[in-house]
Amino acid sequence: MKFINLLKKELSELINLQMILGLVVSLGIFMAMGGIMNATIDEAKEKTSNITLRISDRDNSDFTRTMLEAFEKDGNKVKTFDTSGDDYASILNDNSINDIVIIPEGFAADIAAGKRPQVISVSKMTSAATISNINAGLSSSISLIEKYVSVQTAASGGLNAKQYDIIKDPLEVIDNTVVDDRSAAISSDKILSKIAIQNMLLPIIVFVLIILTSQMLMSAVANEKTDKTLETLLSAPVSRGAVIGAKMLAAGLIALINAAIYMIGFKLFVGNATDKISDSAESLLKSNLSADEAIHQLGMNLSGIDYFLVGLQLFFTIMICLSVSLILGALVNDTKNTQNMIMPIMMLAIVPYMISMIADVNSLPTVFRYIVYAIPFTHTFSAIPNLMFGNRTIFFIGLVYQIIVFAVCMFFALRLFMSDKIFTISLNLGQKSKYKAKKRKAQNNK
Amino acid sequence: MSEMLEVKELTKQYSKVLAADKVSFSIGEGEIFALIGPNGAGKTTTIRMISTLLTPTAGDAIINGHSVVKEPDKVRECITYLPDEAGAYKNMTGIKYLRFMAGLFKTSIEDINACVERAKEMCGLGDRLEDKIGSYSRGMIRKLLLSRAVMTRPKLAILDEPTSGLDVLNAIEIRKMIKELAAKEKMSFLLSSHNMLEIEFVSDRVGIISGGHLMVTGTGAELKERYNAANLEEVFERVVKENEVH
Repeated sequence: MKFINLLKKELSELINLQMILGLVVSLGIFMAMGGIMNATIDEAKEKTSNITLRISDRDNSDFTRTMLEAFEKDGNKVKTFDTSGDDYASILNDNSINDIVIIPEGFAADIAAGKRPQVISVSKMTSAATISNINAGLSSSISLIEKYVSVQTAASGGLNAKQYDIIKDPLEVIDNTVVDDRSAAISSDKILSKIAIQNMLLPIIVFVLIILTSQMLMSAVANEKTDKTLETLLSAPVSRGAVIGAKMLAAGLIALINAAIYMIGFKLFVGNATDKISDSAESLLKSNLSADEAIHQLGMNLSGIDYFLVGLQLFFTIMICLSVSLILGALVNDTKNTQNMIMPIMMLAIVPYMISMIADVNSLPTVFRYIVYAIPFTHTFSAIPNLMFGNRTIFFIGLVYQIIVFAVCMFFALRLFMSDKIFTISLNLGQKSKYKAKKRKAQNNK
Repeated sequence: MSEMLEVKELTKQYSKVLAADKVSFSIGEGEIFALIGPNGAGKTTTIRMISTLLTPTAGDAIINGHSVVKEPDKVRECITYLPDEAGAYKNMTGIKYLRFMAGLFKTSIEDINACVERAKEMCGLGDRLEDKIGSYSRGMIRKLLLSRAVMTRPKLAILDEPTSGLDVLNAIEIRKMIKELAAKEKMSFLLSSHNMLEIEFVSDRVGIISGGHLMVTGTGAELKERYNAANLEEVFERVVKENEVH
């Protein structure tokens, strides 16, 4: 009985309205995220179930024509394109397509001569996200051509050793990747493996930075308020602006030092792994170009200005966190509640963080895209991919949006600190307000 | 005695609550004035308005010739405020805290050092000032904060429950210190306390506030005579009950 009594007390201490509200909000956010992921996966599924083979038959021989007819007879949707030259970026952009397989001149002649024929595979990379780079049409086209060449070679009878080799490995695929208006002779898989870990680094650091900065400032403000040191400080001959400025700057500096240490540590941890993975990918995926050369050729390497812009966006992200934390910290009436207060910021960071790891925000269904982009931190998570893939307009819209969000949050934070509310405001979720208690007492007295 | 503080019909209206209603009183140079009242009477709101932390809805308070409404920056240079149950930065050592606070009031190193030396002497914490405040007892923190409040020689020191958390001997010491500072240095004090014995001993004049109204002001003797009471506690009880009836 005594134990039950104690347990009841412990539970009533732990379960409060703020905690329940936090859980409900978390559940809602995860449900929304589930919706976003489902929509993305459905889109990817639709892409794979409704495959169109995009082929340019430059050989235009009886063999290739019969091959394409055979594909159609088997129920495949084949769309042919007339192309010329090796400006693959223009070929994709002019035809508004994301992939194509080019059968070069001499394809049938090579088969007839017992040589392994070549095909040129061209695919467009629009993001560094895994789901967005699923290219079912391209891989289906190549595997169908491979199968057809194997079958036809086997059917010709009286096979020599070279023809056996062709049956086993029927095609030499020359991979080309297009980014924006540039192309490089390399597969997108190789580029993805090179940038995957690098792209993992920034979101983790941004996430840590957001949480760390917010928690530091929120605790600092909450402690000052509950310890009443804020009253002492603000009654001293020092401006409130200086008090806020010093607090924000200190939290920002400490957060940046932390971020730098995390970045160095993480880079040391993943540095070797990145080299090893890209080395093994290089040996598996034959190419004339190294991944670094290809990234440079495709214009995906970030310039000094790009790094400055990413830094600028990171700065505004921290400033948004700091201004929101000032407000949330001022709402805390008990230091125990600081943990609950960080929940809204944490949720706003988790959603874009998770999405940026799996999918490309730009390829989300319109409604979800706008919802995700309304979260200011999304723009920080997608800053590097946007600059890498030439989505500069989206990047700058994001930067301007963050500046506006910061200005609005800072305006309210300053208004709060400059007014009496800094001493009177608090979030009394689940608690009876003093006014209501007073009113109730007065009614009881009557 | 010239007036150091003149409170003129100071009013504070929160959205639905009138916390202070036309509160008026004055404190002379070197005078100790105690504001007493039950919980929620409007003492802290009045003190916070005088300390420039809250903006009055109406009325004004003039401190050393400066208005809390029009010149709050000037007012903050003349006052110090010690809130009730105030804490200090737990990760700072006592001496660093004193130096930090002195740096907010003074700009030259000499002035800062002089303030710190004065506080060191007054608080009596000795070598413990080198320890972190987190390791201090409640009484030690209070002594540190009190010495901080007077080290800059403010024209008006506003002390909310100055001896709360102190044992009897320490409380006596603090009361003596307040009286000495008022007498020798002409420092004015605005005190708030629930301890009537303390009020009777330390203050020159008393103001009793209830329901946001300043009901009565006067010296301890005057009030006792007026309400035909044996002590200030009885005066307080009668004034508060009178207000409840009205």
